Amino acid sequence: MQAFTYLFLPAIWSSRNRVKQSRRGDFARAWVFGGVGVLVFAALFWGAFWITTQLDAYDELGDFLLRIGLSWLFLTFLSFLTFSGIVTALSTFFLSEDLRLLVSTPIAIRSLFYARFAKTVLQSSWMVVVFLLPVLLGIGIARCAPCAFYLTAVLAVAPFCVIPVAAGTGTTLLLVNVFPARRARDILMLMGLMFAGSIVLLLRFIQPERLLRVDSLPDVTGFFATLQSPVTPMLPSFWAGETLFASLAGGRDLLHASALWTTACAFTVLLSAASERWYFAGFSKSQEARKARFTKLQMLDPMTRLLPISIVRRTLLIKDVKVFLRDVTQWSQLLLLLALVMMYLYNFRVLDLDRIPYMGGVIKNFYAFLNLGLAGFVMATVAARFVFPAVSSEGAAFWIIRTAPIALRDFLWSKFWSGLVPVLLLSFVLTVVANEFLAVAPFLKVVTGAGIALMSVALVGLATGLGARYPRFAADNASQVAGSPGGIAFMIAAVSYILAMVGLLGWPSSLYMWRMTRVPFRPFRPDEIALIAVCFTAAAVLSLCVFLYGMRTGVKALEEMG
Amino acid sequence: MIAIHELRKQYGPFTAVDGVDLDVQPGEIHGFLGPNGAGKTTSIRMIAGLLKPTSGRIVVNGHDLAEEPEAAKASLGFIPDRPYIYEKLTAGEFLRFHAGLYGIEGEGLDQRVREMLDLFELGRWEHELVESFSHGMKQRLVMCAAFLHRPQAVLVDEPMVGLDPRGAKLIKSVFRRMSERGVAILMSTHTLEVAQEMCDRISIILKGKIIARGTVDDLRKLSGGQDEELTPVFLKLTGGSGLQELDDL
Repeated sequence: MQAFTYLFLPAIWSSRNRVKQSRRGDFARAWVFGGVGVLVFAALFWGAFWITTQLDAYDELGDFLLRIGLSWLFLTFLSFLTFSGIVTALSTFFLSEDLRLLVSTPIAIRSLFYARFAKTVLQSSWMVVVFLLPVLLGIGIARCAPCAFYLTAVLAVAPFCVIPVAAGTGTTLLLVNVFPARRARDILMLMGLMFAGSIVLLLRFIQPERLLRVDSLPDVTGFFATLQSPVTPMLPSFWAGETLFASLAGGRDLLHASALWTTACAFTVLLSAASERWYFAGFSKSQEARKARFTKLQMLDPMTRLLPISIVRRTLLIKDVKVFLRDVTQWSQLLLLLALVMMYLYNFRVLDLDRIPYMGGVIKNFYAFLNLGLAGFVMATVAARFVFPAVSSEGAAFWIIRTAPIALRDFLWSKFWSGLVPVLLLSFVLTVVANEFLAVAPFLKVVTGAGIALMSVALVGLATGLGARYPRFAADNASQVAGSPGGIAFMIAAVSYILAMVGLLGWPSSLYMWRMTRVPFRPFRPDEIALIAVCFTAAAVLSLCVFLYGMRTGVKALEEMG
Repeated sequence: MIAIHELRKQYGPFTAVDGVDLDVQPGEIHGFLGPNGAGKTTSIRMIAGLLKPTSGRIVVNGHDLAEEPEAAKASLGFIPDRPYIYEKLTAGEFLRFHAGLYGIEGEGLDQRVREMLDLFELGRWEHELVESFSHGMKQRLVMCAAFLHRPQAVLVDEPMVGLDPRGAKLIKSVFRRMSERGVAILMSTHTLEVAQEMCDRISIILKGKIIARGTVDDLRKLSGGQDEELTPVFLKLTGGSGLQELDDL
């Protein structure tokens, strides 16, 4: 027990020291991120509160939907927690640097297991708990639930988090005994992302838009049957949902609450026994050197020679592409992105706006700008995940660039170009194909096409530059960099810029379209032309400023790096 | 070849390097010794262009590092104490990447890459990913890269860390051959035997200042000893008990 407590001390002391060691700007950062956190909390609370009060109006159907909603919410978290448990356990039990020290000390494997398992549960589930807190609070307040509901929520969520994380940890223990730990991580990342991609596509292909059609009311029963089928009574998500739903109405569901606790305890004990039997063998295997298998990408060198770029930029490009494509944790996320893009475009394909006889044309053109904004958000997310971490991805090897006889400006520009090409391609696919599906007016096709090109350049420039200004060379992976304070600052700036661009392009375009539809034969007045021109010019100037600010601040930060 | 004048580096109130002057001639192996925290690595990192000096001037092959950083770096090779390199590149790809950064390509490159890999006994690992290399192999690969572009001056920070006796012997002979060809080498090390065996001149740095400079004989005279090894000379000059160095060994 003493060893178990001691194993937590480094994390506690490190956190305490981090808090003590405040740096310039920490206070402002705490305010900004605290503010964003409060906003997200409030939005989730309000959303849960609003939906619950709306469902209240439908009596039994409302109860039924709330019950299914809770089960679905917990089912989603169940899969998330299982996958998160697998990945986190790989790191906490097998790949963490401090394990070489800990395993060499005379600590019982059981103490190490319990300390690491507690850490795995905390690391895997904190996000779920933070999300559930405002949601359950919103539901409870909307339903005027008794105090027992909130106590039940705590007692139900705790074992609910333990069960999938234990299952995930067990899977990791098994896999690591079969594959070397690092290879297992690659396989798991790939499997997990393919799983996530297929879930996204599956949910989309249920076609929830069927509910909006008056002529397909008989399908509603079928739709609910589809919804209810995966919520089986054998899953902890169902037990958690039922326990909470019962206490919401002032009752008690001891059967499902007991199922949660006994399963959580049983999983923990079984896992502890399995760990005593197989942990050391797996840990030992994770230390073994392995012969790396990789794609040679031999065509890349001759292909890049065709590009009209300098040797230095070509060299940097080849290196970046090879490093990216050989890292499974990097390129496998593209599969998820591909699934999301397919789903996004499919949504536009199935939108049947011609059913609205008089407004169809107007709504189509409105959707063209909605699409511009949404494509912008997708682009900002892609830039945050793939372009913002580009400088940080050099990691500890950045000394090679800094001691080489190249200007850091060239280095950053190479990062910009290697980010711009895929982002531009993605954003054009999103806007051009969606516009074709919607059959929007040719004028809007040109405006949104030009708009998305400007936004791509500006956002990639901003992501590259801010990524250089707020690098995290010690980060384990690109997701950590994207989720850093710098990454969040980029997202806030990017979203503000996208909203401004949609306004600057959308408003004059709607003016133009309205005039062309209502009074097509009357020529435009000079003040109208001037207004449209000013808005379009402002959009171009804003994009240029965002791009220049990003790149200049990045180059300056790299040059001043000490 | 490497000339440093009044080099200073300050971190807030703490002065890590305090007015260091240094001159390394072509063909010279210059040792840079000092206890832990004396300012060796900070100085080396400033000369390599990794740290910005608070004041002072660094000239490499006639090029001021502050005014012509690219020209100065083009004449320099750098071997850091910890060999962090791109794990997802093969040894051959890493060297070709490195060559590209120095603007080298064309017919002779493949031959030069193989020549360097053979020199550092890594020839059969050319097509293997760096992530499967041991620490010593990575260290030798970094040395291949440092000499690949035929630099006129080389900076080495703790060259023998992580090398087995065979690797250490190899490195010593490579450094000697390079210095015979006129390459100036500035080498920071804790291994006093290496410094005694290899260096033409030695500078000892303590609390950011050079406190002694000269050949091993000059340093002996300065410390008042006669036929002593370098270790007691070093301890007398730096005033330490030697425990800090022992910790490292």
